[in-house]
This record gives sequence, structure tokens and C-alpha cells, in this order.
Amino acid sequence: MPQVFSPRSDRRLRLALSIGAAMLLLILAVGFAYARSGAAWAVGKPAAQPIPFSHAVHAGGLGLDCRFCHAGVEQAAAAGMPTAETCLGCHSRVWTVTPQFAPLATALARGTPVEWSSVHRLPDHVRFHHAAHVRSGVTCQTCHGPVWEMPRTVKTETLSMGWCLDCHRDPASRQGPADQALARDPAGGPPPDRPFGLAARPVMHQGIEVSPLTRCSTCHR
Amino acid sequence: MPPHPMGETAGRRDVLLMGASVALAAAGCDGPDEHGHPLHARPRGVAAEDASYATVLDLEGLGRGVLVRTRAGHAVKLEGNPQHPASLGATDIFAEAAVLSLHDPERSRRIRRDGAPLPPAELDAALAEARAALRTAGGAGLRLLTGPIASPTLARLIGEVLAAYPGARWHQHDPLADDAALAGAMAAFGRPVAVLPDLGRARAVLCLGADPLGPGPAQLRQARDWSSGRREGRAAGRMPRLFVAEASPSLTGARADRRIPLHPAEAEGFARAVAAALGVPGLARQGAHPEAAGIAAALREAGPAGLVLAGRGQPPAVHALALAMNQALGAPGTSLRLTVPPLAQPEPMAASLAGLTSAMAANEVTHLLVLGANPLAEAPAALGFAAALRRVGFTLHAGQWVDETAHACRWHVPLPHPLEAWGDARASCGTPAIRQPVTLPLVEAARGEAELLSALLGPPQTARAAVANTWRTAWGEADFESRWDAALEAGIAGEPAPAIAPALRPDWDRPGEAAPATLTAVFAPDIGPEAQNAWLQEMPRPLTGLAWGNAALFDPLTAATLGLAPGDEAELTLEGRQVLAACWPVPGQAPGCVTLPLGGGRRAAGAVGTGRGFDANRLRPADGAWAAPGLAVRATGRRAALVATQAHHRPDEAGAVPRLAPGEALAPIQPGASLHPDWAYEGRAWAMSIDVDACIGCNACAIACQAENNVPVVGPEELARGRGMHWLRIDRYDAPPAAPAAASFQPVPCMHCEKAPCEPVCPVNATVHDSEGLNVMVHARCVGTRTCSNNCPYKVRRFNWDDHRRALDTPRRNPEVALRPRGVMEKCTYCSHRITAARTQAGLEGRALRDGEVETACQRACPTQAITFGDLNAPGSAVAALRRDGRSYALLGHLETRPRTTYLAQTVPGETA
Repeated sequence: MPQVFSPRSDRRLRLALSIGAAMLLLILAVGFAYARSGAAWAVGKPAAQPIPFSHAVHAGGLGLDCRFCHAGVEQAAAAGMPTAETCLGCHSRVWTVTPQFAPLATALARGTPVEWSSVHRLPDHVRFHHAAHVRSGVTCQTCHGPVWEMPRTVKTETLSMGWCLDCHRDPASRQGPADQALARDPAGGPPPDRPFGLAARPVMHQGIEVSPLTRCSTCHR
Repeated sequence: MPPHPMGETAGRRDVLLMGASVALAAAGCDGPDEHGHPLHARPRGVAAEDASYATVLDLEGLGRGVLVRTRAGHAVKLEGNPQHPASLGATDIFAEAAVLSLHDPERSRRIRRDGAPLPPAELDAALAEARAALRTAGGAGLRLLTGPIASPTLARLIGEVLAAYPGARWHQHDPLADDAALAGAMAAFGRPVAVLPDLGRARAVLCLGADPLGPGPAQLRQARDWSSGRREGRAAGRMPRLFVAEASPSLTGARADRRIPLHPAEAEGFARAVAAALGVPGLARQGAHPEAAGIAAALREAGPAGLVLAGRGQPPAVHALALAMNQALGAPGTSLRLTVPPLAQPEPMAASLAGLTSAMAANEVTHLLVLGANPLAEAPAALGFAAALRRVGFTLHAGQWVDETAHACRWHVPLPHPLEAWGDARASCGTPAIRQPVTLPLVEAARGEAELLSALLGPPQTARAAVANTWRTAWGEADFESRWDAALEAGIAGEPAPAIAPALRPDWDRPGEAAPATLTAVFAPDIGPEAQNAWLQEMPRPLTGLAWGNAALFDPLTAATLGLAPGDEAELTLEGRQVLAACWPVPGQAPGCVTLPLGGGRRAAGAVGTGRGFDANRLRPADGAWAAPGLAVRATGRRAALVATQAHHRPDEAGAVPRLAPGEALAPIQPGASLHPDWAYEGRAWAMSIDVDACIGCNACAIACQAENNVPVVGPEELARGRGMHWLRIDRYDAPPAAPAAASFQPVPCMHCEKAPCEPVCPVNATVHDSEGLNVMVHARCVGTRTCSNNCPYKVRRFNWDDHRRALDTPRRNPEVALRPRGVMEKCTYCSHRITAARTQAGLEGRALRDGEVETACQRACPTQAITFGDLNAPGSAVAALRRDGRSYALLGHLETRPRTTYLAQTVPGETA
């Protein structure tokens, strides 16, 4: 029986197969890198806000305390967002004429909340309690970055599950004194990233120790 | 039952979605849910994000106090108000489901004339015109039709309307009214009397058709008293005794020590026999029954702690006999209290509606206001109300839904849901309470009954002003403000009605006519006016296991004689009126009578409620009788579409529910050998204990679980396939005929087995144990192999065959519990979000968790406190003590799954396990 495929077509098939495999690996590698990068988690991407509010002016320039607007941070799960009354407490006296404040007037007149967009939004199945973290001495900037330098508020961390676990597996390295949790340290910021994934804890699933901080039901509902 | 194509459930989802956006817009909350709304009273909770408000909800006109948990201004979950005497911290299925009705997208939203939406000003003009016309006529031709009214404010306003229009009349209608009880009280005492039993103090109780543990405005109180009486009796070595003689099986009958199925025609003779054996003076006629002497002896032995209750469906003579027997026993003051009825105007309601109908038919009525009633669906069709209504010129219906009566009336006004309106109510014991709105109105055009009534008097008053005026008059101007605030915060506004001591009239016994002992139709309540509520529709009825519809209930022998198999269609004929109904044999049904549940077969109850089951009102006699002899039954040879769930997940029955004689004990629960390595739970070890002896099968826990955990509704088709999603089901075990305790109810949540069979079989590690012994389901890991469910001996795992998230993601959802996508398994979590919340709160306060601090939703709802939850390792915890109790057993314990949920066995007189 004569050869159906010439040696040349054989070579071509081999080449095509190896290029295909290489492309697949490349796509997987790029996809993996993208999923692990900040861009996939909207790091550094500001959200559209009803009012062009600047943390750099209020928290940085004027030195307002975080709790002035986020009053629940020491007691409740949600830190809370400012109401129109909070804003207008000052802005009825200073910087009052800007038409950008129209959403505040609307909210005040209708008794509705100001529709701030959340930048640091966690998925539905995650339970996060601000007060529990603040009481444990985790500073605001550990998760939120130097907010007081941001003209438009952005995420500085991915807030991915792996990122949460970095801390929960080794909480002591991120904890400070509880009374300093709300202080700002311009030189500070989050400690350097730890290796992620399997490199962090090679035999996690066979590991004997499961600390209460890393079991599923602590953070998931 | 008509077929229910898939499209209908899908349609429901779309409607829900639509409603969610409407509700969101109405509440003005489009932004992130961190924001609250100004509300009307000081919150009871700590932080505004999770505030809870005390208010009151009506059932059959009488209030039960509730606390409403709100989240960002939306009502999310109802719980009982521990300070309210008709709730004592528990809830019933209707209270739990109210929050779904509040957010029902099919609620009426517009004022309508002849079905067409109109601006509110048109209604104001029409009311002003009616007012002018009525003023000149002195109110002649004005009729008000309401449900039963116990609200002091509505009673005051109706009184003012009747004073301003001397020719006007007020009629009440309640399809579940027990007019014979009123007639019995009039015969016995010459005045209306409310009987408030204290089942906690009663040592022997005879129920003549009465169902104190069944659904009703006093259920929560009576069930709590009954269970505490049993607990105390067990501790003292002397269990109270409960005898029930009834035609249809009831929850009380299921738990009776001795249950006598009694044909309605025999009821009076039986009551007379007991009364004669008790030596009640003044009996006009004697009766005989073989059981009477024994029951009378038990009652006589109990003396003042004996109690006889006559219930709905008994003739007036039996009610009078029960009252006379209680007087003879000396029960008033011990096992019961007689008070003035809580209703503002106790009257025979069937007669009241009949009076209105004949007046309408005689063209005597020009203006009819139907406030919160639905006579076209709820009154017997034989009365001819619909035909008479067409003769009235000005008809106005106020209701929460565009229901049958709304379609028949010229005007329709949406009523606010009780959770978004001001009002007041009286409990069955007479305790008043003020109803406060817990959310901004979701229907802006809604007008309350108080506003409509005040519009008849002049410029309309707001409901809040009307309620405040009532209580300002009652309390006086001086301390009004402080008492108002205190009443809103506590959820009660006064004391229960004082006891009265009426004397028995000498001629109290007026024997009724002997009813023929032919095949008799016995009418019975069901979920009735709540047909629009999908939670209630999908919840299997405790004694039949039927959901999404009703059936005519036969005793198995009668059904077999008539050639009817379960689910066969039967043609029922009564006095020439016919209806087609499904046949469902129920053990315990008295031979010779057929129970017809009311409230099915609705014609205009939205996508959820329309056409579920058959309409028993089409058979019911015009006088609203509860029993009607002369029923003819014919098998049509067709099958009816019934959804019955009882057989879905029933584990092996042998020994599933042990029954113990008083004082008897089971072997202690000991861990046996296991292939899996042992594990020491050194921290907390969460566990649950469920007292089967206290469970009355009321379903409150199951609906509480559904509300708390965002459990979806799947619809009749899926439910019939066994794809129901309830995390907590209640299994019913029928005892052999003539055994004490006709049925046992065993609630089955996830057992949280220490050696959980579901865990090792999961290929993706999606169900794992945590360090406190919770069997945790990781929805995000689940790939839907369903192997865990196959390997679960308790069948408590539920699979999402559909994506229910769109339907559930409304403002009503509990934000603390995530929604599960299609294709993943889910199950009871022991309310792990409540555990975490309590743990975080304790951590913030720097203290240890207290025993009982974590309450699961089912535990909180239970009227008999049958469910206990806590930490097995905590010294002195209640759940650890119950686990050591001699009645404690593990369900399917021989499988060595070491369940954390254990049960306490039922105590049954004279029977061993």
C-alpha cells in the first residue's frame, strides 16, 4: 500500500501541533497572569460617583478623620457612607455654589440616600466585618491603601480570596496596636506581598492545623 | 386542579423581578444598601443597619405581636415579640409569610374605577359626592362591610360614621367565624363571652372539635401553654391528659392521648354523655357514648384543672354544654378565663352578611364600602352575594389585591400592607397593641381603612392621626407622648381584658335538632386569604402533605367504598350544587364525612393563588354552616393533579420516632466504631436538640427557615418531581389506628453529622467540616454531581435545578445569606450567619458567648420551644443537658453518622418504644 502522507506533510502536522500546544500554553499563561494581576480586580480603576469627591482634599488636605464620614467602622460590619446631611453640614457654609452638589440637594429634599458607588465591593457570599478588623489592629490602609492621597478613590489591593488568606494565615504580621488602627502612616502601607497560591503553604489541604481564621465559615456565608 | 405549565412559574419570576424594581424605586433605595431610611420609632436593635421594630399583625381580626427586622429600611424577617401575650416570642406561618406578601409584585398599586387606573383626586371627588348624597338621605342606603374588627381605632371610626349617618349599617364577615360559639355563649350566659384556656394549668382537657394547637390567632399562646404544661407534668411525673373528639383530623387531634373520630351528627350526643357523666345540672336531654364515662372520670379527677373546649363547627348546644361543663368543674379562674370578647362588635357574621345580601337584593343599599374583605371569594356561593352586589350603585372595595370582589365593585382602592401602615389591634386575650409601619409604603396610592372611613366624615385623616387620637382619648393628654413611645417600643399598649364571672342561666341547655347521619360535608380552614403567598402555597400541609392546592379529605374506608383512590377526581354534590375535587384519604377522618378545606379554587388571586385546588365555597350552604349533611360523591374516573410531598424524603420508618411511656428512658447516645479517624472538638461544638414530644407540626419553623435563608419557591410542577428546596422539612409518622397520639411530627434539618457521609464522596471538597463541627457547604466549589445527596441518609440536601437568584434578589432577601446559583447543592447551615454575628458581637464586647445567645431561625419561630441550639462543650449549656436526657435519640443512629442534631422522644401514655 502506497504512503498516503508524504514526509513533508508529516513534518507540517508536527509543526502545527507544536505551535498549537505552544499557543494553548501561552493563552493559559497570559490568562493566569491576567487573573492574578490587579487589572482583573479593577485595581486603580475609579468608579463613577454622583459627586466628584476627593479624599485627597478632605482626608489629606483638611485632615478629616475617616470616622467623620464612615461612622460605623468601629461598631458595625459596614463602615457606612456619608448622608447628604453630613456633607451639607460643612458645605452649606463653604464651597456652596457648585452645581456638582445637586445630588445632595435632591437627596435631602426627597429623604433618599446619596447614591455613592462602592469601590471596595466584596462578593455576595463574603461576610466582612469592619469593626472586627479595626479592633484587631488592622489599619485602614492595609486594605484601602493611602486613601488620603487619592483625588479619585481607587482600590490598591485586589481583595481576592488569596489576598485575604495571606493575612488570615499569618495575622500577626499585619496587626498593629488596636488603638493605632485609624492612624495614618505615610511611610507605612501594607507589608510586602507574600508568595501566593501553593507557594504560600505547600501542603495546605493535607495540613493538620486549620486555624479558625482560615476555615470557610469564618468569612463565607 | 388545572395544569400548571412551566410558563406560570417562569412568569412568576418575571413578575417578581419587575416588582423588585418597583419596590426599590418606591422605597427610594437604588444605591448601595448601606443607607437607612427615617423610620417611625426608636429601633429596638443596636445599629441602624439592622434595626428591629415592634408591631402587630392580624389573623382573623386579632393581633399577634411581632418584631420586624429591617435591613437598610426594608423589612426582611419577622420574629415574635416576647412581650406580646399572643406571641411570647414565637411566630406562626402567617406571620412569617407576611413579609413575602408585603413585597408581592402582584399587589394592587393603583386606584381603579371599573378596572381602569385613575388619579387619586378622582376618588376624592367621588367620595365627596357620595358624602353629599348620603348626608341628605341621613345615611340611608350606606352599608359598610368589613372583616372582623377588634382594632380600637377602626371601631371608633365606624362608630363615628354610624353616628353621623343614622341610616347606615355595619356588617362584618369572616369565613372562619364561629357563630355557634357566640350563640352558645348567649344561651349559657346571655352575653358574648371569650373563652381563654390556660393549657399550662389544665390537667385534663377535652376538645369537642376544638383545635387549640391549630392555626388561629391564639395558636402561639395555647401551644406554648400546652408544651409548658407537658414539660412540668413530665417533671412532676404526671402528664396532663388531652382528649379530642372531632370529625376532621387536626393538629390538636394528632397530639391527643385519646382521639375519637366523631361524625358531626354524633357530636351533641357525645357532649351530652360526658356532661351527664360529670353530673352537670340542668341538662335538658341525655346522651350516650361508650367513651364518655372514662373521659368524664379524668375531667372530674382534674377538678378545676379540667377543661372542655368546643370548637368551630360544633352546634350552639355543644358550645353551651362545654361552658356548662367548665362551670361544673370550677374551671374558670384555673384552667380557663372568661372575658369580654376582643372583637368590637361580636355578632353572628354569616347572618350579618346574609342581612346585607337581602338588603342589597331589595334595592335598599345605594352605597357599599367593602373594607378589607373579599366576600365574592369567601362567602358561600349559594348566598347570591355577587348577584345582589350588581344592584348597588356605588360600590367601593379596598383590598391589598385586585381580587374577586375588586373585579365586581365599581371602585377599587389599594390597601397598605399591615407592615407599612399605622393601626392598632387587640389580641385574643384583649391586649391592645399599636401597629407601626416598619418600611416606607411600597404602594404610594394605598389608603388605609381609617383614611377611607374618615373620608366619609369629612376631610380624610391620616391613619397615624386616627390611631393617635384614639389613644390620646384613652390615655389622656398629659402622659400621651410618653405612653405612645413606650407602647411603640414594647409592642403592647395595655393590659389584657379582665376576667368576668357570668352566671349560668337556668335555661342554658337548648338541644339542637338532630342532624341526619348521612354523608356530611365538613368545612375546614386552610391558608385561605393568603392564597397569593407562594411560601404558604408551597408548604406541605401538616396532616395531608399536600401543597399548591387542596383536596377533599376522606377516611380511607369511605374512599374505598366509593371507589376512590388517592388523587382520583370526585364530583361532590350538595343540595344541587356541584364541584369537582381531588380525593385524598386521611387516617383519622371520621367515617361518613368528608372534609372540604376552604379557600382553594380562587378565581383572581394572581399567578400564585389562582386555580389551586377546588372552591369549597361553591358547596357551602348559604348560612355559612360548618357541616352540611346530604353530600353525594361520585367518582368521575379522571385523575386530579395533586402535589403531595410526604413520601419524597421519608427515611426508613422502623423506629424512626421512638415512643416512650412516662418515666421510660432510652439508651444514652454513645459513639460507636467508625472507619473515619476521630477528631477532638476542643472549642465550641454546635448542636441542636429537637423535642418531638413538643412538636405540633405547625410548619412555623420551616417558613422561618425559608424567610431567613432565602430559600426559593419552585412551583407545583417541580415540587411534584421532588425538587422542593425547603431546608427544613417536617416528617409525619401516623400511628396505628386507636393508638394514642395519632401522628408524630419530626422536623428534619441537616444533622451536621460528625462523621458526615456527604463529605468523603464529594469530588471537589465542596462540603467540609469546620472546627466547630458545622458541616459547611461551599457553594462556589460545588460542581453539582449530587453525590453528597445520594450518600445522605437523611435526605436533607437540596439541589438547585434552576437559577432562582433573579426571583430571590428582591429587597426582601436576607442580605446575610448568599443566593445560590443553578447547579449547586445547598442545605441547612445551622444559621451560620447568626453564629458568626453573635461571635463577632461577643468579640467586640470582649466576652465569651452566652448559652442561648445564638438562636437559629427555626428555634426562634417555634411556638412550643421544641428546638434548642447551643454549644455542647459549654459547661451547663441547655443543649448538652438535653442530649443527656433519657428521651434523647439520634435519627438513624445505627448508621454511626454521629449527628449533632438529636431528638427527644415522644411520651405516650401506656405505650413503650
